[in-house]
Amino acid sequence: MSRIDITLTVNGEPRELKVEPRDQLADVLRGPLMLTGTHVGCEHGVCGACTIEIDGAPARSCIAHAGSCDGATIRTIEGFGDDEIMRALREAFTREHALQCGYCTPGMLVVGRDVVRRLPDADEARVREEMSGNLCRCTGYRGIVRAIVSVIVARRHARREGACR
Amino acid sequence: MNAGATGFGVGAALRRKEDARFLIGKGRYVGDITRPGMLEVAFLRSPVAHARLKRLTKPAGHEQQVFTIDDLPEIKTIRANSALPGFRVSEQPVLARGKIRHVGEAIAACIAGSRAEAEDLAGACELDYEMLPAVSDMTRAHLPGTPLLHEDWSMNAFLETHRNDDVSGLDAIAAAKVTRTLRTSRQCMAPLEGRGVLAEWDPRLEQIIVTTSTQMPHVTKSGLADCLGLDEGQVRIISPDVGGGFGYKGILLPEELVLAQLAIRLGRPVRWLEDRFEQLTAGANCREHHYVITAWADEAGRLLGVECDAIVDAGAYSSYPFGACLEAAQVGSILPGPYALPLLRCHTMSACTNKPPILPYRGVARTGVCYAMETTLDALARQLGISAEAIRLANLVRPEAMPYRNLVGKVFDSGDYPEALRRAVAAIDVPSIRARQAKGEAVGFGLATFCEQGAHGTSVYHAWGIPFVPGFEQAFVRLSPDGILEVRVGVHSHGQGMETSLAQVAHTILGVHPDKVRIVLGDTALTPYSTGTWGSRAAVMAGGAVAEACRQLGDRIASIGAGLLQVTRPDVVVADGFVRRIEGEGSVSIADVARTWYRAPQNLPKGVDKGGLEVTAGYRPDPDTGTHSYAAHAVVARVDLETGAVVLEDFVVVEDGGKLINPMIVDGQVLGGLAQGIGTALYEEMPYDGAGQPLAATLADYLLPGSADVPDVRLEHMETPSPWTTFGQKGIGESGAIGPPAAIVNAINDALASIGAEVTDLPATPERVLAAIAAARAGKA
Amino acid sequence: MKPSRFSYKRPASWDDAVKLVLAGARPGAGTQSLGPMLNLRLARPDTIADLRHLPDYAGVSVRGDTVRIGAGTTHAALEDGVVPGRLGQIMASVARRIAYRPVRTRGTIGGSLAHADPAADWVAVLPALGGVAVAFGAAGERRLPLANFVTGIFETALAPGEVLRAVEVPMLRDAARWGHWKFCRKIGEFSKATACLLDVPGARPRAVLAALDGPPMVIDDAAALLADPTGEARRIVAGCPGLSPWRQAIAEAALRHAVQGARA
Repeated sequence: MSRIDITLTVNGEPRELKVEPRDQLADVLRGPLMLTGTHVGCEHGVCGACTIEIDGAPARSCIAHAGSCDGATIRTIEGFGDDEIMRALREAFTREHALQCGYCTPGMLVVGRDVVRRLPDADEARVREEMSGNLCRCTGYRGIVRAIVSVIVARRHARREGACR
Repeated sequence: MNAGATGFGVGAALRRKEDARFLIGKGRYVGDITRPGMLEVAFLRSPVAHARLKRLTKPAGHEQQVFTIDDLPEIKTIRANSALPGFRVSEQPVLARGKIRHVGEAIAACIAGSRAEAEDLAGACELDYEMLPAVSDMTRAHLPGTPLLHEDWSMNAFLETHRNDDVSGLDAIAAAKVTRTLRTSRQCMAPLEGRGVLAEWDPRLEQIIVTTSTQMPHVTKSGLADCLGLDEGQVRIISPDVGGGFGYKGILLPEELVLAQLAIRLGRPVRWLEDRFEQLTAGANCREHHYVITAWADEAGRLLGVECDAIVDAGAYSSYPFGACLEAAQVGSILPGPYALPLLRCHTMSACTNKPPILPYRGVARTGVCYAMETTLDALARQLGISAEAIRLANLVRPEAMPYRNLVGKVFDSGDYPEALRRAVAAIDVPSIRARQAKGEAVGFGLATFCEQGAHGTSVYHAWGIPFVPGFEQAFVRLSPDGILEVRVGVHSHGQGMETSLAQVAHTILGVHPDKVRIVLGDTALTPYSTGTWGSRAAVMAGGAVAEACRQLGDRIASIGAGLLQVTRPDVVVADGFVRRIEGEGSVSIADVARTWYRAPQNLPKGVDKGGLEVTAGYRPDPDTGTHSYAAHAVVARVDLETGAVVLEDFVVVEDGGKLINPMIVDGQVLGGLAQGIGTALYEEMPYDGAGQPLAATLADYLLPGSADVPDVRLEHMETPSPWTTFGQKGIGESGAIGPPAAIVNAINDALASIGAEVTDLPATPERVLAAIAAARAGKA
Repeated sequence: MKPSRFSYKRPASWDDAVKLVLAGARPGAGTQSLGPMLNLRLARPDTIADLRHLPDYAGVSVRGDTVRIGAGTTHAALEDGVVPGRLGQIMASVARRIAYRPVRTRGTIGGSLAHADPAADWVAVLPALGGVAVAFGAAGERRLPLANFVTGIFETALAPGEVLRAVEVPMLRDAARWGHWKFCRKIGEFSKATACLLDVPGARPRAVLAALDGPPMVIDDAAALLADPTGEARRIVAGCPGLSPWRQAIAEAALRHAVQGARA
């Protein structure tokens, strides 16, 4: 049951790690890498609090073994820097009161950013569908949905204006 | 006072100060904190509900890493007594001693370098026990011959209460009488962050420092000192960012005591983080009620009386500090709701069962009681052939009667209850619903009205006699040398945005910009004593205390400022961060006053208050019987007759929380509560089998509402100030979670009225809805 | 909870994978179903053989009238249209409703099928689409009809030592009609009853009733169901033992809605 050597690129930095085969990626990020913005909520893939990006796609870090992610590029809530969509989402989240205790927020933002990028024409119903894998116990979701929709709409307007010019 | 004048004070929808750290993943929860040399704890928990514990065999070679109650004899049992007559006190050992009383009860603490290894140890323990028949049905728990959980008791009940108004004559005079048997399911509050405890011993201060995800750091401190035999100076509780509370973290935990004692014993930091499996299987601890309720009305729908027999499943122990009876004992006092009820006969029982000990969840007993009363009212209305609106208007306490003392002695402070109902109804196109019904569509309209007592204080809790009776709330304020205002309060924030709301309160009194107000919470070493954040009390109590402390500080600032301006105290006011002359030119900034006190005291005027720029002040509303916010919920629901599924087409809330300190934050509280209420109404249920086994061990089985399950609620406010509070604000944190089950089921029953079907049990799952339809059809056939 | 200890192997070839599995290793793909079971210690394998790095494990290729879908192809890839044509359209619509996007980005069609949870989507849908599962064992590839690949709760027709390498599904003409309906109380929840129906002009319509706590029930000739959805649904469901009245009701509803969908 020996530990295994893996290499990850985490938030742009190459990291070499020794992990136990049973270590989930979430625990490796939160433990040795001290990236505690990734929260563990259920450890069975339902609540979405641990959602991060693996190779550019949102994924549950509580049910992805670190060993199986060897070689992967990981991005956590700490790794978005001044990403334009993330900045817009953060602004919209605070404006729409889309967070209270803050525990679900990093996962919400990671998934919200994927929705904004992947579904540029999504309406409110679609946003509600797409966000249904991220549980929030505080807000009742209205602020979260409004925030994400507002970013999508703003980008759509910007696109149209760009096309008109 | 310049409330809201600058857009930052009381009444402003100010964006939250705390958001910045959460949005970049820099919130700091217990699970984010580590210490050098820290060990992780996993608990071996009982797999069975009721058994005699015979022997625990520790894994060979690891005996020193496994601790049972025999290894920790220093820890006293937890006792949460009540002054209510007839209360039976339970002794809760922090680790099972001799007997197991519910699935998930902690039996041993297993310690290792990692959580996984600690779980390995727990899995390697061998448990020898003798099964006892489980008591899992609250309606039969008290019956003779049922095995006793606490063997020195005469029956499995913590308490019975009686109110015996004579309702025997009502049959003769009533135009309508209905009786319903209703029940609600056991729920798990399920904050997204579980509980978590990190304990460490500080040998320098000879102090145990417990970092724990709690709503009430000071109460936890006192409880911990009591149970560990320490003096209170030896205990410091830190509650960092808390990932949701809702009542789940309003308790002195057995785990906190075990961790603290282990840290003392081992001299090393130890940490335990509750996982979701533990939470669901050992922590489903609220909302399970059973009612047999009868109501009588005259032909106008006026209530003549109500008779109710209520049982609440209180679980195996009385939790500290709120005890096992907070729910059941309140049923009788909450049943009249917002109505002018003349007669009430009520018997309640807090049943003791082999389930986790009950805790008060957001709304506490009100969610169940409101469900019972409001569905019964609708049944009466149907029998009388009057509308749901009409029967409520016939009974709601009228605004001209405020303040109103009802038949059980509750005093409603202010408000226009009928107006809230009228507005909610007006927001829905009821005729179009009736038209759709006429075409055979299973769509319905449902109402619920209720009021929420919040911030109730000494006079109320004293009567219940729980271990902690809230008194005066205190706040400490300090103007720093740089002009920053530091505010320290003993309540805590777990999503309520206290760092923003209290800064707005301070701004309103002193004019200091909210960015220059630092709110310090969640550490007993840094904050004044407080019973904590629960019972919708923080905005009223801490808001009032901060205002009072700021006022006193403002007076001192004004005196110094007047001296610096070479006028007298009555010649100046404090406004917008300055001390200004009332007449004529001249002002000095608060920051300059601070600099003078700390760094140029030679310039201070004579006779200055030696207390300087630090004030601790206390506050309690008078009377302290509590504020009453109230609301009307109106719902349009569609029932799929094929599957029993319910779709919420529309949801309107008209809410009166008095003066709103931050309307955006209040909206957030109401909307968040609503989602939880929708969970109670339609999704959340922890079923137990006859052996006392919880049957929903993951969030794939225990369904929490998601973004697609909560409609885009329409929210409207009335703002009737409470005459008794600082700004007229009322407690409103729980309100959203109270009304939805009643309003939603009333809408469902309205949709099914033509079939004659009624849902009686919560949640109204597709299976229950379809069963109700089938039963109605079978009854007609 | 954290998983029990196990050792982790990453076979570089299919032969190595088979050797590991023969020696008792548990194959792991996206671990979106296995992961929770490991975390809850419901599954306690000694060894996990991670198939994700095997050659051609993910990906889609069309050969003649058949599309071969690597077992490691994610639900998200299928949702995003990696399979062409009418079949791809159908598979995308199914994939979009599996769990949640962050689960679909790692969960795989082969992993889900081999895991054989009765409530899982591909367990219900693939038998209706026809085609074969491509198993790989010590003797090489073996093709098993998808119609009876799942044999019970968490049980498949894979022989000991075999791993699922791909599924091969016949391409569909644009005229193919498809109905699929499942009952979930919430988006992403496991289905409580699923039915689907494929009606290709000139061929016998095929239906599947699934997610009823057992292997999927394949109705090879669904002509009667198409002709009389209500009566036939009742007859079919009456043949499923042990269902509660509600489960019977939604199972019947599933069949009726599948027919409706195929007719639309």
